[in-house]
Amino acid sequence: MINLWKRWKALEARGIMGINRRNADYVLKYNKRSLYPIVDDKIITKHRAIEAGIHVPELYGIIATEKEIEKLDQIIGEHSDFVIKPAQGAGGDGIMVIADRFEGRYKTVSGKIVTHDELEHHISSILTGLYSLGGHRDRALIEYRVKPDPIFKSISYEGVPDIRIIVLMGYPVMAMLRLPTRQSSGKANLHQGAIGVGVDLATGITLRGTWLNNKIAKHPDTTNPVDGVQLPDWDGFMKLAAGCHELCGLGYIGVDMVLDETKGPLILELNARPGLNIQIANDCGLTLRTHAIEAHLAELKERGIQETPAERVRFSQELFGHVSAAV
Amino acid sequence: MRALNLHLKILIVLLVSIGVLVTAYQIFVLGIPVTEDETDDLWNIDARVEFQANPREPVKVQMFAPPLNQDYVSLNESFISNNYGVSVNQVDNNRRVTWSARRTSGKQTLYYRLALTKRYTGDLPKPKGPVFRDSIPLEGAEKIAAEALLAPIREHSADVETFIGETIKRVNNLNDDNVKLLTAGNSSTSNRVRIVELLLSFAHVPMERVHTLRLIADQAISPELWIRSFNGEKWLYFNPDTGEPGLPADRLIWWTGDEPLISVDGGKQAKVSFTLNNSELNAIGLAKMTDQNTDVDFLEYTLYGLPLETQQTYQIMIMIPIGVLVILILRNLIGIQTLGTFTPVLIALAFRETQVGFGIILFTLITALGLSLRSYLEHLKLQMLPRLSVVLTFVVVLIAVISLLSHKLGLERGLSVSLFPMVILTMTIERLSITWEERGGGHAFKVALGTIIAASLAHLLMNIPELTYFIFTFPTVLLILVGFMLAMGRYRGYRLTELFRFKAFLKD
Repeated sequence: MINLWKRWKALEARGIMGINRRNADYVLKYNKRSLYPIVDDKIITKHRAIEAGIHVPELYGIIATEKEIEKLDQIIGEHSDFVIKPAQGAGGDGIMVIADRFEGRYKTVSGKIVTHDELEHHISSILTGLYSLGGHRDRALIEYRVKPDPIFKSISYEGVPDIRIIVLMGYPVMAMLRLPTRQSSGKANLHQGAIGVGVDLATGITLRGTWLNNKIAKHPDTTNPVDGVQLPDWDGFMKLAAGCHELCGLGYIGVDMVLDETKGPLILELNARPGLNIQIANDCGLTLRTHAIEAHLAELKERGIQETPAERVRFSQELFGHVSAAV
Repeated sequence: MRALNLHLKILIVLLVSIGVLVTAYQIFVLGIPVTEDETDDLWNIDARVEFQANPREPVKVQMFAPPLNQDYVSLNESFISNNYGVSVNQVDNNRRVTWSARRTSGKQTLYYRLALTKRYTGDLPKPKGPVFRDSIPLEGAEKIAAEALLAPIREHSADVETFIGETIKRVNNLNDDNVKLLTAGNSSTSNRVRIVELLLSFAHVPMERVHTLRLIADQAISPELWIRSFNGEKWLYFNPDTGEPGLPADRLIWWTGDEPLISVDGGKQAKVSFTLNNSELNAIGLAKMTDQNTDVDFLEYTLYGLPLETQQTYQIMIMIPIGVLVILILRNLIGIQTLGTFTPVLIALAFRETQVGFGIILFTLITALGLSLRSYLEHLKLQMLPRLSVVLTFVVVLIAVISLLSHKLGLERGLSVSLFPMVILTMTIERLSITWEERGGGHAFKVALGTIIAASLAHLLMNIPELTYFIFTFPTVLLILVGFMLAMGRYRGYRLTELFRFKAFLKD
């Protein structure tokens, strides 16, 4: 009992945010329920992002009804690789990644050959809500296939690593690189066994990571150290994330981004209830940082100033950046 | 935010204080018992009056009945008497029943029946009594004997109480020559009381005879004589045989004064015999009975005012907030993951019909089979709705098979799965399979386990009879619960499981 109490105090002293605090002080306070569809539906997110001039994977087309499946050929056009996604899918289910064409058929990233009929059946399943939360009817979107930057090759196993930045009222709070593992079967989802690696906000250099609630220093599949990797175009990521506040209106979000080898940082999706394991990845609590931002916001409000995304990024980088990986 | 917090705090304080105040009012002012087990003895006293009526003469029988302003409260009073007119009137501190008839003859039997119980509450009127009396005039040898007795009594006493006690003790010492002289050989209690009165009157201490009935079941009893005196604040009671002060709790004062219990005009050989029996009564039943004789009709406005059948439903319903509270604590304070918020409560309700042990086995079995069917259907690439329909149909068939098997095996438990648990079962499987799809099998298993734990705990709490009684009787307790829930709504501390989840931070 006393031990638990000490643990409680120690966590509190380090500013570790618990679920109750996240829900009460951030999700409930900053995220209006009515705005949730913007982040839950990837198509709406994408449209908003395009309007705001934020980079996203290029949208080839949307299929909303069975009738529109006929247009699939037209949508794919000359692209030899693309991704089919359910607009309201969760946990990466129902995503089909086509890497190439082969003798009039298609080839997925894992090398499986699928026919055009199978593609149509897959889209039909998406439309009936097979992959959407609660089984609602859904829409399928067909978009550009992201080709991960080779920088991740050494510390990643299959799949596309992504970068999550938690943003409070447009101020980046904490960042994490999510690396798929063999256990997560190529998905960059921490719950499913992916690795989270902390990233220094100022420099974009990776810190140590977390895997299944533990702290780690090496990738379990490749055994290469995960820290000390310089992410390219880090400021691009930061600006992208900071701009998402204006895009969706939600105050506390997790912005998931990828680094494409040709197009640079792109936004994949937004999350209105970002997880808390990013704290373990960064070996740092969220609460102290969010409090600092809230204090800064209160001060700005008093002076009647609104900061631009670039200014917000600078503020966050100055305050939270330049941490060295704890050795 | 601060204004919101203040608002919330005021609301919580308001709800909790209303809850506490109303409950306290019910307990302390209305005197509703706190537990159901608080049964009280209910005494039925029958006084049987027999006498021989004179022919061709009007009959008037007067008997004392216990006054109602004492520690016992009368629930019901009845007079069983053919052809007699009955009236009850107050004479000084006593109540007197008068039976009267114009013309009777032969042996007569009248009954007076009284049901009473200990008083919970109520303020007794402030007692009043005389504190001074004149001396009874005495002459000659008796006067000298009395004075000789009084001298040591005065010496050995400090106040009225000790004075009376000492007097009784002296008078009971029949070897004393002075006592012998005064009693003149008659050593009956009544004669001794007469001498005590005599002695006390010399000291101007008033004294009153009290005729009490001992509440003891199934024994022939007759009124016993006690002595009491008013000391300005309260009545002091004494046993005339021992001089011990205080009236035992099981004594009921029937009447006071010097008059006999019964007087008959137009009859002879009057005799009164008492029979007592007692029964135990559930506290609320008692309160209801008392209610008829008191002017507080508090039960009108509680759930006890509902028809009995509806009451039973409400006894289950009113416990649901307790179940929800359990889930709230388990989820937000402990951090156990459950399937939705109310599914565990519903499962807990279903356990009412199946019993916990069997219910857990049944739920686990059926859910496991349902989920394995679901994962098989996964391979067939069916759409969500048809797939769920298949699962639900399968569950119904499965339950039917289990019922049939257990019935054949002589296990009546298997039949306990009625409509309600089945609906909940299928719903659980549906939600669990959605969780499985969204978060994976490991997570689904964790959630299922958490749900079973939460449901069992909620079931156990919801079925504590004392708690059910308490909340059903004092429903405003729920306001206190709401206050707690509101406070939980802004709880920001860690969940117990988070202390383990984040333990990596402590390994430095």
